[in-house]
Amino acid sequence: MAEQTFRLPDLGEGLTEAQLVTWRVEEGGQVEVNEPLCDVETAKAVVVIPSPWAGTIQKLHARPGESVAVGSALVTIAAQGAPAPVEPLPAESVEATPSTLVGYGPGAGPPAGIRRRARVAPSTPQMGSDVRAAPFVRQLAKERGVDLAALTGSGPGGRITRADVEGAASPVAATSAAAAASTTDGERRISVVGIRKAIARQMVRSVTTIPQFTEFAVFDATKLLAARERQKQSGRSMTPLPYFILALVKAVRAFPLMNSSWDEAHDEIVVKQPINVGIAVNTSQGLLVPVLRGAERLDLMAIADQAARLIEGARAGTLKPVEMSGGTITITNVGASGPVETGTPIISPTECCVGAFGAIKPRPMVIDGKVVARSGAWISISVDHRIVDGALATEFLTALVGELETSRA
Amino acid sequence: MADVVQVVGTDDPVRPLFSEAGELRADARSGLGLDAAALRDLYQKMVLIRRADKEALNLQRQGELGLWGQYLGQEAIHVGAVAALEPTDWIFPSYREFGMAMCRGVDPAEMLTWFRGLSHGPWDPRKYAFAPLAVPVATQVPHAVGFAMGSKLRGDDDVVLGTFGDGATSKGDWHEAMNFAGVFRAPVILLCQNNHWAISVPLAKQTAGSIAERAPGYGFPGIRIDGNDVLGVFAAVRAAAERARRGDGPYLIEAMTYRMGAHTSSDDPTRYRLDSELQAWSAKDPIARYQSWLQGQGLLDEAAAAAIDGEAETMAEQMRTRLRAAVPAPAGEAIFGRVYERPPDPFTEEREEFEASLEGT
Ligand SMILES: Cc1ncc(C[n+]2csc(CCOP(=O)(O)OP(=O)(O)O)c2C)c(N)n1
Ligand SMILES: [Mg+2]
Repeated sequence: MAEQTFRLPDLGEGLTEAQLVTWRVEEGGQVEVNEPLCDVETAKAVVVIPSPWAGTIQKLHARPGESVAVGSALVTIAAQGAPAPVEPLPAESVEATPSTLVGYGPGAGPPAGIRRRARVAPSTPQMGSDVRAAPFVRQLAKERGVDLAALTGSGPGGRITRADVEGAASPVAATSAAAAASTTDGERRISVVGIRKAIARQMVRSVTTIPQFTEFAVFDATKLLAARERQKQSGRSMTPLPYFILALVKAVRAFPLMNSSWDEAHDEIVVKQPINVGIAVNTSQGLLVPVLRGAERLDLMAIADQAARLIEGARAGTLKPVEMSGGTITITNVGASGPVETGTPIISPTECCVGAFGAIKPRPMVIDGKVVARSGAWISISVDHRIVDGALATEFLTALVGELETSRA
Repeated sequence: MADVVQVVGTDDPVRPLFSEAGELRADARSGLGLDAAALRDLYQKMVLIRRADKEALNLQRQGELGLWGQYLGQEAIHVGAVAALEPTDWIFPSYREFGMAMCRGVDPAEMLTWFRGLSHGPWDPRKYAFAPLAVPVATQVPHAVGFAMGSKLRGDDDVVLGTFGDGATSKGDWHEAMNFAGVFRAPVILLCQNNHWAISVPLAKQTAGSIAERAPGYGFPGIRIDGNDVLGVFAAVRAAAERARRGDGPYLIEAMTYRMGAHTSSDDPTRYRLDSELQAWSAKDPIARYQSWLQGQGLLDEAAAAAIDGEAETMAEQMRTRLRAAVPAPAGEAIFGRVYERPPDPFTEEREEFEASLEGT
């Protein structure tokens, strides 16, 4: 029994970390060669890591949700048995012995010697980009807080070496850098990975690239609620969401520009044919936006079915990435779980419009000059001002209110 | 004007073997002249190369390989095409053709040293008449055509197989190769493995037409066949090879198949394609189909199938242990030593930086 620790490999050509999604083994359990150990999510894919050895799981070194650096310990396994004797690969197959390298024909042979450029004497490196150092040395300097421009390189042509950086890094700098990564007085640092990171990136992209404005309206939900009641009588109860989606789709049909995106590179507006409605869903992992595709071809029932399936899938974490991409317009039901009336939603970076629906509840409305209690809700839309001006947004919002107020079962 | 268009080798011995839909006709299937052992051999080879593919993916996930490109689902093409050729006929592959290399007798553990970054070319191309894998898309196609032209000039009766993906047909090199093949009546079989995807680009975004039907434009015939039928692939490649050997020139075969796995180990196909598509193709799995056909013919019983599976396991274990033993990592010399006879300054600088980066590691 030899204890061996398996370290997280670079699973995708140049990755530096992965997030542990779930373990498929537990400490004390047995594992066979190639049996799944865990699922990890890299920047490129979610992959299953098969066990390199058979044996007993001694220790799992990371928790689900944790971000693991490439090269860090993942799992320790007490391996069974000694490795089988191995017939070595013929020397020709590896180029460690270049004189027998195959495929280059006889006579090519290894070069007698590489002509080296005469080395220039170490000189003081210039400022800024003139500093000569390999990328890993620059990284090291950054980590240790060493200013490369202040160093004299001892390598060829004045290149700064690892030793130069290590020599210059004061122990004080090293400790303070380490401290910053953990806890300081009254502060806790949470590493941002996975969905949180993706949301952050999308939101920054939206607010830094899209000049967006928001308009608000209140609609009378009397007919919508009546239609919903009739549905219920006929054995089918549903949330207001499918009605919202249907009304949105109908309004978008009349105003196709709402279903578009701005193509910065070509100075073009890309008007999309299918209406793919992204539905903002709050999940234990954070905000997810599954996409209801081809909504313009669906009736209320089909919309209700699809939306329910997507929302459930988003919450259970079973949706494929393709089911969460390709949206052309987004809807968020801000009133679904609280007293929220309305909000100023942020546009998804590849869309033109997002609509937020507030809570439906009785509120005073003036009908025929009299104040009466009617069920109603706020809606707001945020739109890309590069594509849509206030006048058009208002027309669209008016159409949307019209659709909502004439909802039928 | 009509006599200006000179279509070379218009006779087409391949098409009569297939239905309109590209399925091998029943009479052609029974007329292949393969005995029971040869038919079983095709099955065994498909099972072995699939197992090798799976093991290589495992090894990549375990950090033993830098990268792996699965050919899962394309085994019928790999096995059928190689079996239809003479061992001396050259093959010019892309990066996805380890299965073909295995069929030529290349040791799978040795091959993997390439994906481990230990070797530029782990086999002697002359020994196996199997060219190095071409990663730059479509570059192997002009190589294949040029090699076939050379063979013709030398006057030997070798034919050449150049194989490539659907994506490769969008490249200029492909067009140039097709044109040369037609003009010089090169003894070459151009085998497109149309697996419906080029990384995340679906076939519909690759071409608005049919790949096979482009061949007449270059002056030779082409056909689209079911690439998940090992006997169909065998029949088509063999008939096209015989035709080329007779001096009738090139033939384009578009073998329809599906990339069941990711593009490579770095890719996540769930981001761009639907599960339903994969499910539909799973039903056409080349190994399962051929297995049930063999069983129906009484050519493969459970014991024989189990023995082949056992052999595949042993092979996989050998691959794993022998690859791990092949650790001598190449020095900087292996990367920089064979590029220039007189290296230019920036190259030498890069080499020095690289060597310096190894200091103390
Ligand atoms: C000249 C060139 N361009 C781009 C790439 C990146 N690349 C690697 S594989 C690939 C797709 C090739 O698709 P296809 O020809 O259908 O072959 P498949 O991968 O499906 O076997 C691309 C674009 C490359 N290797 N070479
Ligand atoms: Mg392809």
